[in-house]
Amino acid sequence: MFSKRNLVAYTIAFLFILVLNFALPRMMPGDPLMAIYGDEALIAMTPELKAQLVERFALDKPLWQQFGAYFLTLFQGKLGYSYYYNAPVLSVILGRLPWTLLLVGTSLVFSTMLGIILGIESGWRRGSRTDRAMLAGLMSLNGFPDFFLGMLLLIAFGVTLGIFPLAGALTPYSGLSGLALVLDILRHLFLPVAALTLAHLANGYLLTRNTMITVLKEPYMLTAKAKGLSQRVLKYRHAGRNSMLPVVTQTGIWMGRVVTGALFVELVFAYPGVGYLTYEALLARDYPIIQGVFLLVAISVLVANFLIDLSYPKLDPRVSYAY
Amino acid sequence: MSKKVLNLVSKLLIPAVIVSLLVLPSCTTEITEISSYTIADSTGDWGYPSPYTHYSRGPGYTRMSFIFETLVWKDASGFVPALAEEWEYVAEENAYIFELRNNVTWHDGEKFTAEDVVFTIDYMKTHPNPFVTLIGPSGVREAIAIDNYTVKLYLEQPYAPFLHDVAGTLAIIPKHIWEGVDDPKSLTGPEAVIGTGPYILADYSKEHGTYLYEAYDDYYLGEPFVDEIKFVKVSEEMIPAALKEGSVSAGDIPPEVVSEMEEAGLTVITAPIAWNAKLTINHRKEPLSSKQFRQALAYAIDREALVQITQRGHGIAGSPGMIPPTSDWYNPDTPQYEYDPAEAKQLLEGLGYELEDGYFTKDGEELELELIAEASFKEVGQFINQQLEEVGIKVDFRTMEAKTVDAKVEAWDFDLSIYGHGGLYEPSILKRVIMDEGFNSTRYTSNEKLSQLLEAQLSEMNAEKRKELVFQIQEIYAEDLPALTLYYPKWYWAHDGNVNLFYTKDGLASGIPIPLNRLSFVK
Repeated sequence: MFSKRNLVAYTIAFLFILVLNFALPRMMPGDPLMAIYGDEALIAMTPELKAQLVERFALDKPLWQQFGAYFLTLFQGKLGYSYYYNAPVLSVILGRLPWTLLLVGTSLVFSTMLGIILGIESGWRRGSRTDRAMLAGLMSLNGFPDFFLGMLLLIAFGVTLGIFPLAGALTPYSGLSGLALVLDILRHLFLPVAALTLAHLANGYLLTRNTMITVLKEPYMLTAKAKGLSQRVLKYRHAGRNSMLPVVTQTGIWMGRVVTGALFVELVFAYPGVGYLTYEALLARDYPIIQGVFLLVAISVLVANFLIDLSYPKLDPRVSYAY
Repeated sequence: MSKKVLNLVSKLLIPAVIVSLLVLPSCTTEITEISSYTIADSTGDWGYPSPYTHYSRGPGYTRMSFIFETLVWKDASGFVPALAEEWEYVAEENAYIFELRNNVTWHDGEKFTAEDVVFTIDYMKTHPNPFVTLIGPSGVREAIAIDNYTVKLYLEQPYAPFLHDVAGTLAIIPKHIWEGVDDPKSLTGPEAVIGTGPYILADYSKEHGTYLYEAYDDYYLGEPFVDEIKFVKVSEEMIPAALKEGSVSAGDIPPEVVSEMEEAGLTVITAPIAWNAKLTINHRKEPLSSKQFRQALAYAIDREALVQITQRGHGIAGSPGMIPPTSDWYNPDTPQYEYDPAEAKQLLEGLGYELEDGYFTKDGEELELELIAEASFKEVGQFINQQLEEVGIKVDFRTMEAKTVDAKVEAWDFDLSIYGHGGLYEPSILKRVIMDEGFNSTRYTSNEKLSQLLEAQLSEMNAEKRKELVFQIQEIYAEDLPALTLYYPKWYWAHDGNVNLFYTKDGLASGIPIPLNRLSFVK
């Protein structure tokens, strides 16, 4: 299953991504000097300052040399030093990564699971009032961007009702620890996760529902019903399992978005995340951070796809490899 | 007096005296100690608050200024002593003598002396710091410690805003820590935040964008009355709600919620104008290279209406001389180009343009200009687009990503653009944004008189004479109009009143319009 050909394919993809990650940010107009220092009127870009910065950012070296240096540091396990944040790229990203995984990971799990369950129930009752209501409801929910839902939830539950906090991943300098800290984090996590979950619920739901409708027409479903199996077993063990495949594939693709997909929600909730980091780094032309984040995304997509490849035969034994 | 009266008087008088003795002391202004004060900011992270690691923006410097101090400082009215108690300018030698305090200690207990000042200046000359330039026109040729608490700074050349730009902005760093540090950015541990300021850094989180400051008990002006300051990250939209809820003590607010904040019992303060939005003009390209053409543009744009419509009234119409009408340096005789579309049309006709089907053409070619701007200027751009089209100039308005606009302007690949910058408190900004290189400058050097005046005002040490020069600059600049100041926005902060936040005269340090002066937190 994991053949040499596979390995070669993944390696080539990875190398190609590395080159793209390096080249693309540098193709954007403007440079870090302009972006980081040019905007502040109180800073005079003197020739001395400029010379020092150009040297620090290695902007005067030929591109292939810069790439070579990047490649070497990468193999030493280092991701470089951020122009804007004055800190190693790895530490900047790692500082935010756990929060991103918590936020996007949790909402991905919830929206996928909930989407599948709702899709199964909806598909099972296709044409009924419940189905039509769920379809209409989720389609309209899908129309709202995630940050808008976030704002609505924040205003309703944070400002008006005051049940949830207005910003951040936790209460800063509260001195909490242990269970109290966990609860504090969960309180801060609730609304952003709700916003992301609701915004992306429709995807899993529609996919599952449609697949469910097709699966229900299959002859084996008739057999299963004839066997006298309970509704729950029919719905979930027989139909559901077969309807899950498209969603699982989609989730694999989505893993790549886990890292940067919550940018606007992070903004609205002032939640520390890699999404907003990427946005700021792009604006500041902070090449090392951009490269670092893109690398992370690339690795997670490759790994996710690899895992999906592995898990497919288990989910659907009919799938076999032609290699 | 009779014994009875004496008895009565003493019965009343003595208790009265005792009571008043108990009551009176609390009538004197006693500042109540505050245990914690929270400041909200939508960006949150502005870098490690050390002179070389904070991000190169006002808020980054501001956070650092609570920990590190300068030779002189400013409060709401003007210059006040900081590390220097007294100072004088010796004109014949073009030098400043600063008498330093002798009771200042660094946060690690070491004594502060003139050696630290001399070291800082030498170090920052060889390791450039973005906020202070010690080489060139604003530079210090030599710094000498005359004794332990007196330092003499010989300037490179007479520099009028020295106190403002250098002495009031240069953060003094401890020699015993920074000596021998080759790469200043490599110092990122607790030793990098040893300063003389009223607060010490207790915690900083990059990803959460939070800072925790604790009062430095041995501060030379006395222990700060605010024990703890927290900087927290709250999104722009939520700051007003957080202020009302009380989870935050101070923060910047959009103009729309000012009355709501005041009704909730919060104090709202507004910044003296520091920032302007400009119509940047490519004066090297036809037809914009003609002065009359640029003046026609000025007459065609109703800046009063622009403020009303695009800024919903929260701002002041731009003065073509760049310096705002609220400034002490403002020249009231600066030509204002009051909205006059007829005059604009006349000027264009004088240049050989003819109106055809509502648009100006010349030699068969329709007059069309491209206007580019960053997305936040969308309404302003659309307004200008509309106004110019009404006069008969076709405009192609497009919004682009900020740095893309900057890159195009830098390369002179544009017609018109909208850009904004601050620093309007001190006229030293004028030379930088009119003559210097870079996309954020107009790069206008075609008028010799103007260039000469811009250079001269930097070295004119006499305040009256300097003001005259700045007046002249505004008139000539407004006449030539290489760029047009469109409007000055109004900015507001709201706070709970527990700390007297104020806007520093002429901005914090070199002109930062943020009402977070460390003096507010010290008795």
